Amino acid sequence: MTIDVLLFGPAAQAAKTNRLPVPVPDQPIAIADLRTRLAQAAPALQTFLSASRFAVNHALVDDQHTVTSADEVALIAMVSGG
Amino acid sequence: MNIDVQIIDGPLAAQPTLPQVEHAGAITCFDGIVRPTENNRPLHALDYEAYEPMASRMLRDLAQKLIDEFNLLAVHVQHSRGRVPVGTCSFRLIIASRHRKEGLAAADAFIDRLKQDVPIWKTPVYADAEGEER
Repeated sequence: MTIDVLLFGPAAQAAKTNRLPVPVPDQPIAIADLRTRLAQAAPALQTFLSASRFAVNHALVDDQHTVTSADEVALIAMVSGG
Repeated sequence: MNIDVQIIDGPLAAQPTLPQVEHAGAITCFDGIVRPTENNRPLHALDYEAYEPMASRMLRDLAQKLIDEFNLLAVHVQHSRGRVPVGTCSFRLIIASRHRKEGLAAADAFIDRLKQDVPIWKTPVYADAEGEER
């Protein structure tokens, strides 16, 4: 099974996609685990992940938050508005 | 209304429309303009991407926090989405306050927090990028 992660800006450019399916063994899965699996699925994102946060259903969450494939999950990395 | 947030396609209007706010002694207006260079390279434009509706909601939440924190009267925010050419406006913040000090301090705080938290990204479109999309 997979959980799609939405990517934006430099992260989307690095991964060459704005929606990355991340293989997961089971769900729900904690954001901390998803972060590790995202790095495995797209090694180009590794440099972004330590300083990035995740949004689930349009709200920022911490690493203990759990998600399933029914959630909208987005990587919020290196924002640069203004 | 005391909070107004808009995500607008392309560059913002060249001139701001300042609100009439009762009891205001100061209207602070900040315009962010696309600079002609980025990373020491000539720039053609910036491409902005916003994750909506999260970006608008976070801008509204941020405006409310600053109204509470600085005792402001109103906060209006406009941010571009899509391509914004060099020399045009991509971000506008208008703050109405009773006195100048809290308006100026709140403008600085708003922009710092925007750049830290709000899911908006910009990608440079370089003027000297042969073969790259423009």
